Amino acid sequence: MRLLTHNFLKSNVKGTENGYPLNIEVTTINCEESPLDKLFLLNLLPKVNYPALRTAVQQISQHCVPPLPEIPEQLDVSDKESNQNLDHETLKNLHRVLFDVYLIEGWLVCPDTGRKFPVKEGIPNMILHEDEI
Amino acid sequence: AEAEAEAEAEAQIDSELDAQAKYNKDTEHNNHNPIKPYHERSWKITIHTLGSTYTRQEQNEMRSKFSFLQFPGPVQMKHPDDEYLFIREVELDAMGGAVYPRHCKGEDGKTKKELIPENDARPPLACYFGRVLGNGTLGRNWRGSNRLFRYSLKKRTYLGPTSMDSELSLIMTNLAKVQKGSFAFDPFVGTGSILLTAALRGAQTFGTDIDLRVLRGRNPNENIVSNFQQYGLPPPELVRSDNSIYHRHFRKHLPLFDAIVTDPPYGIRAGARKSGSRRGDGEVRPVLEEYRYDHVAQTRPYAVSDVMADLLNVAAMTLVMGGRLTYVIPSMLDFNEEEDLPRHDCLKVVSVCYQPLQTELGRRTVTMEKVKEYDDRKRDEYLEGTWVNGPQSAEKVANIRERLIEAAKKKPGYEEKAAWRKQKRKETKEAKKRAKLEGAERSQFQVNQFNRR
Repeated sequence: MRLLTHNFLKSNVKGTENGYPLNIEVTTINCEESPLDKLFLLNLLPKVNYPALRTAVQQISQHCVPPLPEIPEQLDVSDKESNQNLDHETLKNLHRVLFDVYLIEGWLVCPDTGRKFPVKEGIPNMILHEDEI
Repeated sequence: AEAEAEAEAEAQIDSELDAQAKYNKDTEHNNHNPIKPYHERSWKITIHTLGSTYTRQEQNEMRSKFSFLQFPGPVQMKHPDDEYLFIREVELDAMGGAVYPRHCKGEDGKTKKELIPENDARPPLACYFGRVLGNGTLGRNWRGSNRLFRYSLKKRTYLGPTSMDSELSLIMTNLAKVQKGSFAFDPFVGTGSILLTAALRGAQTFGTDIDLRVLRGRNPNENIVSNFQQYGLPPPELVRSDNSIYHRHFRKHLPLFDAIVTDPPYGIRAGARKSGSRRGDGEVRPVLEEYRYDHVAQTRPYAVSDVMADLLNVAAMTLVMGGRLTYVIPSMLDFNEEEDLPRHDCLKVVSVCYQPLQTELGRRTVTMEKVKEYDDRKRDEYLEGTWVNGPQSAEKVANIRERLIEAAKKKPGYEEKAAWRKQKRKETKEAKKRAKLEGAERSQFQVNQFNRR
């Protein structure tokens, strides 16, 4: 599971509205570089929740070897036009954190209820138990 | 002026030959046949007249109509360098037979006899002529590789009973306009065969499924990700989630996907499931905390009418404007495209392609495009408006396998055929057992021989 996916996952156990963003507990993590797809990234950025991305990066950064690059503390990504003016270094770093980090084993924890969603073999299991629906 | 034209033509041919020589040189280190120059290329014309039969003489008459093309090379019927295809299209009925057949059927209903002059004189719907670039047999493109064959399911490391054949997957992703830079989504990803062709076209891919076993695959070397690795493709993002509650797994987000390409479960080979207790009485037992880690969440049957309603609604919600949803739907002869296809206020049907599979069964590949922005407040309205004719339309596509078996049971001779099949299965099983024992004996014999030495 990459941070791209994590950015969209939430917990809705028993209808909680505060299940986003999920906290990440890392057991095993992998990093694999991939080439920057600028077109795709620019298309994607306005849809990304940036504060959630930044928090996620902070939560997993210590487990990554080499450590993850710094991304700006605040960034308004909502405007496609202004995103095109982002410098190459920032775009590269954004690409790196969104696409190149794979959580293989770990947990996604609901910030409201504490419910832990397991991540095994890179696949998060979001299925709610029958008493959580 | 004539001399000028001739000189120009010669110069043209010279420059082509130069380019040809350069190409030949570049490809010398490849073991493929270098491209022959145009005037040496052998050729043939294949005639396709689906729904009608033409004698060899009639076909040759059709071929001679193209003699004006004056292909310089020799005609070669077997493995020519170039194959040209002439297709004469006539109106077909739902079972693939001509609506106005050329010949009438003989007394035994099988052999075609005389020509029906009025039908034969009917003009065709259309005629097509072109050069074959690739197909199952003559599939070698100019690079010498057979594109389709490379992606054949036979070569795939991880397969399941629901894997979609590569040809249909390629067609579906084409219909959904998946291309480089697209973000493609398959909410019923299964073994990932459709998502794979999306990735082949250069898309980033995302797949979800409620079935954990199929997502994980048989082992780390035989799973969805290994299939992608087999073709050197970036891995898909996979999540185990329930499409019927997409909005509860994923936060509200701006339209994200350019294409949704999927083969929804219809209760044929893989029954559809959704989250929730199986108990009919509505009583849900709480999951004790100490068992939660290993608890396998119960799932319950998911009606086809809901599968499609949810699919269209998720598509309307998550597709970008102009984005496309392409799905397959099996259908029998009682299916009416006008009335029975599921609908959504935000989506417009772009195309429906019917493929007959058996006498009464076919499948439709439906493509829809998002034309209207999704309004959150209208969710219930959208879901209720899915089936114009009510859920009985959904019933037409659900449980087709059971319906086919029921229909087959009613046909005369069914019991004898079933008994014969059972006997055959028994014989095959026993033959396999014997072969296994003999094989075991043989290898034991070999081991003994070895030990004696």
